[in-house]
Amino acid sequence: MIKMQNVSKTFDRFKAIENVNLSIQKGSIYGLIGSNGAGKTTLIKLLAGIYLQDQGSVTIEEELVFENLSLKERVFYIPDQPYFLPQYTTKQMAQFYKSIYPTWSDERFQTLVAWFELDMKKRIHTFSKGWQRQAAFILALSAKPDVLILDEPMDGLDPVVRKKVKNLLIQDVADREMTILISSHNLREIEDICDHIGIIHKGNLLIEKELDELKSDVHKVQVAYKDGVPEQLLSKLNVLHTEKRGSVFLCIVRGKEEEIIGQIQKTKPVLLDLLPLTLEEIFIYEMGDIGYAINNIMVE
Amino acid sequence: MFELDTRSRKPIYEQLVDKLKELIINEVLKSDEQLPSVRTLAQQLTINPNTIQKAYRELESQGFIYSQKGKGSFVHPGNETKDSEKITTVKEELERLILEAFFLGVTTDELIQLVQKLNASKGGGEIDD
Repeated sequence: MIKMQNVSKTFDRFKAIENVNLSIQKGSIYGLIGSNGAGKTTLIKLLAGIYLQDQGSVTIEEELVFENLSLKERVFYIPDQPYFLPQYTTKQMAQFYKSIYPTWSDERFQTLVAWFELDMKKRIHTFSKGWQRQAAFILALSAKPDVLILDEPMDGLDPVVRKKVKNLLIQDVADREMTILISSHNLREIEDICDHIGIIHKGNLLIEKELDELKSDVHKVQVAYKDGVPEQLLSKLNVLHTEKRGSVFLCIVRGKEEEIIGQIQKTKPVLLDLLPLTLEEIFIYEMGDIGYAINNIMVE
Repeated sequence: MFELDTRSRKPIYEQLVDKLKELIINEVLKSDEQLPSVRTLAQQLTINPNTIQKAYRELESQGFIYSQKGKGSFVHPGNETKDSEKITTVKEELERLILEAFFLGVTTDELIQLVQKLNASKGGGEIDD
């Protein structure tokens, strides 16, 4: 169990993280999403024990993270730009990590190197961005951590490698109950592997929920009527967003599927469609709800 | 075993429950047959093991499967209470859909025809067996 309680972090006068409460269950894959500059990376660095919070506590299994060596032996963090020691080859990096992580598996390292067809005797800095990331994954998974923290992990990987990496992550979650925290902008990318989602905006954690619950909580409704939209319709529903496309009325409604359908059917529409939202749409509308809306602008 | 549509809007968990139910109802998965382990399925489909666990729990609470500690999950042999529960839920679903069909202007006759057509094709299926 990873926990953040009332955590705040300020850089100079800039409040990067404000009163964040977050919890991640063991064996869960947690997706952290947020607007640009929302504080995702700061939050991750607090969890990885790189920054010290100004307020509150950051714990993994009830132990404080910061400067906690025995705990850090069980946590692996891949930053948004993977870091390797200068001039090191993958093999040398493996030696380095082996000396740090007691759970390191040489056997696993060899298997993964062969599977990814990586040249482990080549200096990592000569690799392309995608290869560097693959090297980082190989090293991380060979260390067999209990907690894996990934900042924008799929950046620069091709679809085949993405699938390979996801598959490996899933195996470790299934076999060893490894806990994963993933931050990403690419919502499609994390939608299919995360079970919990946290949405962060301007340093605040807005929503923290099970993904399926989040998805069954918001719906896209398309309705059409013979003679205009009855007024009582909107007043009874928790509507996040409405749009009129010709005679079809489109709205995003929060609530239970059956209740929404029941309410709308009372108004006798000629057309009624209810669709679940994609994570991307949920993100956009929830953000719109708090004033981070998409206003289309015309550029000359 | 089967594929899920990760591009679909429908939550993966729901897709899984529906797919497995379909396999059980059509007896592709037979009574007391073991379901693939969470780990195997997670790896095969590249989806979150927790999602699979959740789907299995849902199927268990709906009486489609049962689990044995340390052995895994198995298809529940059909019994009357389960069937009657299933019939109620199916009827509720149907009611909802039929109402929707009425709102959309489908006539009673069209629905009756549809039912008869489906019944006939089901009979045909049995003869093929």
